[in-house]
Amino acid sequence: MALLEVVDLHVGYRVFEGYLKVLNGVNFEIEEQERVGLVGETGCGKTTLVKTILRVLPVPPARIQRGQVLYHGKDILLMSPREVRGLRRREMTAIFQDPLQALNPMFTIGTQLRDILKDSQERVGRGQRTQRAITARCISALRDTGMPDPERIMSNYPIQLSGGMRQRVCIAEALSRNVRLLLADEPTTNLDVTIQDQILRKLDQLVDQRGASVLIITHSMGVVRDLTQRLYIMYAGSMVETGRTKGVLASPLHPYTQGLMRSVPRLTGQGISDGIPGRIPNYLQPPSGCRFHPRCAHAMPVCVEAPPPFYPAGDNHRVACYLYRS
Amino acid sequence: MPGDILSVDNLRKHFPTKEGVVRAVDGVSFSIAPGETFGLVGESGSGKTTTAQCIIGMYPPTSGDIWFKGERINAAFDRRPKHVKGDLRIVFQDPGSSLNPKRTIKQILSVPLQVHRIGSRRGRLARMKALLDMVELPADEYLYKHPQAIGGGERQMVALARALATNPSLVLLDEPTSALDVSVQAKIINLLIRLQKELDLTYLFITHDLSLMRNIATRVAIMYLGKLCEIAPTAEFFESPVHPYTRMLLSSIPVVSDEEEALKPRKVLSTGEIPSPVNVPPGCGFQSRCPEAADVCRRVDPEMVEVSRSHQVRCHRERRPDRAGHAEASVLHEREERLC
Repeated sequence: MALLEVVDLHVGYRVFEGYLKVLNGVNFEIEEQERVGLVGETGCGKTTLVKTILRVLPVPPARIQRGQVLYHGKDILLMSPREVRGLRRREMTAIFQDPLQALNPMFTIGTQLRDILKDSQERVGRGQRTQRAITARCISALRDTGMPDPERIMSNYPIQLSGGMRQRVCIAEALSRNVRLLLADEPTTNLDVTIQDQILRKLDQLVDQRGASVLIITHSMGVVRDLTQRLYIMYAGSMVETGRTKGVLASPLHPYTQGLMRSVPRLTGQGISDGIPGRIPNYLQPPSGCRFHPRCAHAMPVCVEAPPPFYPAGDNHRVACYLYRS
Repeated sequence: MPGDILSVDNLRKHFPTKEGVVRAVDGVSFSIAPGETFGLVGESGSGKTTTAQCIIGMYPPTSGDIWFKGERINAAFDRRPKHVKGDLRIVFQDPGSSLNPKRTIKQILSVPLQVHRIGSRRGRLARMKALLDMVELPADEYLYKHPQAIGGGERQMVALARALATNPSLVLLDEPTSALDVSVQAKIINLLIRLQKELDLTYLFITHDLSLMRNIATRVAIMYLGKLCEIAPTAEFFESPVHPYTRMLLSSIPVVSDEEEALKPRKVLSTGEIPSPVNVPPGCGFQSRCPEAADVCRRVDPEMVEVSRSHQVRCHRERRPDRAGHAEASVLHEREERLC
């Protein structure tokens, strides 16, 4: 059984203008100790998906129309708030793009880290020895992320740290407990490449040690290639392609993935293609059938009728495109 | 050099603050020939945007000179002659905040035309349509829209149209695509390349994306802590990077294919972060992160030396007394000896 399995998930938002149909039948799964990448452009529903999995989506305005999010076979969407809290305490956690928003500006790093550790344990003694042990665990969690001078950082406020340091704190928070699943939503998008490189290497190493599964959500193809084994490409609220990361990046099959890969500037200096014509659809009235068909050079009559299912294309590679029907 | 469209000579911009002097730009020199796309690359906090802001005139430099077509333009924006303002334009990173949300695109585009007295009233409308046409936006559809009603890529195209309204010869592009998705970025970049050919433009392209520079720049300069580390023609820059920082940057780029992986220099493990530009310690700015830092790096700030005719680097390891930098090198050597 997969660790996490999302089945036919439909999520939308009720807004003044009408109903935004964002997630349009998302299917994916993560196995134990697997690293999976999820790549998609701005507005394709990546963050909505993560929030649904974590059950932090504001409902309303959001509405979960149908679908299942199975964690060890149990539907997260049907759990009681108490069960969900337990799950978030011990089983899964997330790192977000903007660590300044994820950290409370009013408390020191030490206070926040200690609180999280205490909360994740069933019973916490109030004795001095437990307190000291918790502090020691926080410091070692910070040190594990490559943070210089963790003892001093414990008494700092988030505002006193640089972006890279804040993200290290978030990683320490996430991995100070032995979680099974880490959802990382654009963890290095705001960071410089040299800092990104450091953080990703550290994350890679820590996840390895703990044997956790990771879902990395990003728009950077390079980051997924470095870190993940398997990859999903998302467009306008559904998965369009999946397979082994290197395989998909080397020979993308879906017209959207092909367009994306042509747009990525390469170090080989072969120039940059024209990108993908058009823009991401309006979710108030999304195109029928395959949502990519208005921008697709290979669109056929069938594409307008119904959304394509996944078709196998060899070596774990699957594409949601009618071009690969046979 | 004569014939250069822009040359920046030992530019410094310091900001006094309560904590001390912030040396945002600390002695930067480069020049750009007509028709070039000069890539100025650096991490956040390296001073690349401040350099652009000094060139465009948002700040007067603390010291140093900016020459534009043989004219010295050190003055702040409001004291510059109008023909310079029209000839030297800028496109900012975030079109969401550089375009007035309360104005229509027509109003936004008409400002530079009015200020520079281009065309009659009717002529201006035609000119605005032509501008939108130039950036591949259908004029009838976009002229009366507000910036929020259009996508990020389209907004950046409007910002570009506004910059081109006065027929400039040099356009500063300050991270024009870093807020955009790759598929949109590709569109804007191709548009920039086409416009450069059609309108004989010169670009100063500021970015942190080296892979992008590989594809469009003619020369690349790396900036770190207010100073340039290395300047070279693009091909040479990527084939034989000399400065340890350049190699660290190049080896940190995440790439998408094995061919690119092969082009990256041997892995230089990235460590540390860019130091604060307040009260910069003596010596080379990069020494705290440099895997090859020697004693001299902690004491003496290296000078720019030539590796080859167009390839300059600012690193002690590249002191070549037998080359063009002979005089500088011997002075440095003397200074070193005295310090020892």
